Amino acid sequence: MKKVVSVVLALCMALSLCSFALAEDVTLTVWVGDNQDIEWINGVIDNFKAAHPENNYTINVGVQTEGDCSKVVLNDPTAAADVFTFADDQFNSLMNGGALQQVVDGADDIIAANGGADAPVVKAASQDGVLYAYPATASNGYFMFYNKEYFTEEDVQTLDGMMAKAAAAGKYVGFPMSDGWYFYSWFKGAGLTMTVNEDSVTNSCNWNATDTPITGVQVLEALLEIAKNPGFKEANSDPFVAGVKDGSIIAGVSGTWNANTAQEAWGDNYAATKLPTYTVNGEQVQMSSFAGFKLVGVNPYSENVGAAMDFAAYMTNEESQMSRFEIRSEGPSNVNAASSEAVQSNPAIAALAAQAAYADVQRVGNKYWDPAAALGKIIMNGNPDGTDLQTLLDNCVAGITAPADQ
Amino acid sequence: MEKSKTMKKAPKQSGLGKGLASIGGYFAGFARDFAKGDIWVKLSALVWGAGSFARKQYIKGILLTVLEALFAYLLPVTFWPYMSKLGTLGTVQQQRVYNPETRKNEFNDYDNSFLILLFGVIGCILLLVAVILLIQAVRNARRVQELSESGKHVNSFKEDLADLLGVKFHRTLLSLPVLGVVCFTIIPLIVMILIAFTNYDRNHLVPAKLFTWVGMSNFNTLFNMTADSTFAYAFGRVLVWTLVWAVVATFTCYIGGILLAMFINNKNTKGKKFWRTCFMITIAVPQFVSLLLVRNFFADAGIVNTICKNVGLTDWLYNIGAIPTANFIPFLTHPTWARITIIMINIWVGVPYQMLIATGILMNIPNELLESAKIDGANAWQSFRSITMPYILFVTGPSLVNSVVANINNFNVIYLLSKDVYTTSDQLMANANANEVDLLVTWLYRLTQDQSNYKMASVIGILVFIVCAVLTILAFNRMIAGDKEENFQ
Repeated sequence: MKKVVSVVLALCMALSLCSFALAEDVTLTVWVGDNQDIEWINGVIDNFKAAHPENNYTINVGVQTEGDCSKVVLNDPTAAADVFTFADDQFNSLMNGGALQQVVDGADDIIAANGGADAPVVKAASQDGVLYAYPATASNGYFMFYNKEYFTEEDVQTLDGMMAKAAAAGKYVGFPMSDGWYFYSWFKGAGLTMTVNEDSVTNSCNWNATDTPITGVQVLEALLEIAKNPGFKEANSDPFVAGVKDGSIIAGVSGTWNANTAQEAWGDNYAATKLPTYTVNGEQVQMSSFAGFKLVGVNPYSENVGAAMDFAAYMTNEESQMSRFEIRSEGPSNVNAASSEAVQSNPAIAALAAQAAYADVQRVGNKYWDPAAALGKIIMNGNPDGTDLQTLLDNCVAGITAPADQ
Repeated sequence: MEKSKTMKKAPKQSGLGKGLASIGGYFAGFARDFAKGDIWVKLSALVWGAGSFARKQYIKGILLTVLEALFAYLLPVTFWPYMSKLGTLGTVQQQRVYNPETRKNEFNDYDNSFLILLFGVIGCILLLVAVILLIQAVRNARRVQELSESGKHVNSFKEDLADLLGVKFHRTLLSLPVLGVVCFTIIPLIVMILIAFTNYDRNHLVPAKLFTWVGMSNFNTLFNMTADSTFAYAFGRVLVWTLVWAVVATFTCYIGGILLAMFINNKNTKGKKFWRTCFMITIAVPQFVSLLLVRNFFADAGIVNTICKNVGLTDWLYNIGAIPTANFIPFLTHPTWARITIIMINIWVGVPYQMLIATGILMNIPNELLESAKIDGANAWQSFRSITMPYILFVTGPSLVNSVVANINNFNVIYLLSKDVYTTSDQLMANANANEVDLLVTWLYRLTQDQSNYKMASVIGILVFIVCAVLTILAFNRMIAGDKEENFQ
């Protein structure tokens, strides 16, 4: 085995010596998240080739959903694409699996272009202050869509106000309760924390603590009230789209990926804003959220790590982010691109910017999702078994913080 | 299977004992041949072709010796580096450094635990094969020696080849399937089983990290319910549902298929071909397409719910307390409802297959049986109960066992119908990444795909295998006893 490898290596060296003065042939594979990204990436590839005439680039494009990218990459990093796009919640998993190449060339420029070392997107792409991925978009979080026909700007400040209006109209405010990604916003809003530990696998979580200013039990009580409200409906992505189309959902929490649907259904009444406040123990609490970013990673096992980094940097530069916004309506993370007029006037991106003050960078170990979803489901069912709320929280936290060896 | 059992009336002996005895006999034979053989036979243990050379079987001798050389090269050079690390599964963790001059990553000579496991197992199997070949070489040399000493004919290479197409044709035929089974079934199986005894999970993903042996601790996780491990709880629930599902799904489809076939085959039914085609359409559409579509139909905001709401079924069910909300029927989102819906959908998907099989059998029932029953005054139900059903059961019995096992592993229906839709509200299940409609196999799938928890998935895989094996052995022993055919006639 090793001998074969060494022979091949020797051959490669000989070949590369022969062609020293000539342009090098470099083949890269890049994964984008969606079929609709292909038009955009092909444009980027053409520009990249024009900007780098020193090599003969062959760049193949594959489609790999950003939400599942880490699973595929980690299954066999040596067989994954050289450059891949992923949602920032997978940053930990990929780091832990050793599947992200540190950004070596021009890391400082990239950090500066995306708002400096303290910008959330840079934090989302860094570990211990070192950049390991290229920020690509800043619009992967969630916010509140609403139909101006039913709500005033005043109404959308509080969830109570929204639900009251919706109930009065016989319609609903949608929220994906049994999905850990959204469910987080209630607890974090009330000042409770859940975050991954330094090992980047296990979590810490104080949702079941009894000594916090607002306790988890109080949050659950509030949520049970909300779930019962006639103006409230559980709606993850598909039901949300269906409800918006048939008019039964007139406001809801979702992300830019559903912006077009809402815009088509509501026309000029389409609006978006930050998440509202909700009532816990008699006080109004601002809902928090996960900030969502798309990042581009370079596979450290790539044969052409250097060229892959060049391409990843190019694919996430200001120009490429602008064309991505124009073609796919994804909000740029690049500060210059984000401050352009076209981006600023996009309601969904403006809503995300307003929510940004209450949004956290996702630092979540994999054990979080299923227990959180189950708790959300129990709340939506109205806690039919009448289980003690503290017990529900204890069970949930036990699952979220389970040790890594299980 | 049946025939060999009836023909061989050998004295009863337990399978294990027989196996051990024959292995013992094999080695004893080798020792005897080695001791009694001449110098060439003894030399065959060192150079496999020696015995053949001595009897002028030059081509065979060369082939054997080349084969030996191949093993002598492959085992120490290619496989030994892996086999030698099997004990630890590697100790050198990967380190990589980016070289700014070549613009490439440089790696240290790191160990890859998974490759060590895989190539180590292959190496061990090759070693075993080499030992067997060595023994065969010696025994063969001795046999040829005996032949030539007693003046009998010693086969030339040509004659050996001819034998392979003649007397020993079964060996030629079997060699390829056996090779395939070893490469594609036995080796992966051994590797999978071994993973159950390692800590190969999210924290120990190759190639960046190493994993190692942990003994029985994964089995302890599964069977010991501790405060922070819920695998035992989830395993019990999932196993029970898997068995219930396998039995119910098999028998509903089986009975449904037979009834449907009988209704269509009834001589009073008009347009037989039309009806048959109608039911065949579910087979014509790829299963995953129809299942995903049906999942959308039965979603909380799906078309079936809209219809039920409009005709008032939803309100009625809510009033009698069958559903928790008045807004929709939780076809695929409530544990009990989801289980029933999935079984119903499985009937729709599975009945046509059974109908096809039953149709074939019904056409083959000897008509004289049914007619003589009629003459004796049996009514339709009696002849169904005493003739048709026993006949169908007799013919399809083995395939029924097969269906139960297939349903234990019926991944498609469960996974596609519950994916992205079903969220458990059982916290202990959720903490083990399982849910109420999961079969062992779908749970296993999500553990590997979503959680990279290969070690627990392997443990569950082993248990699925045990469940299936026990069921199959029990059922086959009872159903295909050799004398059943006579009983029926």
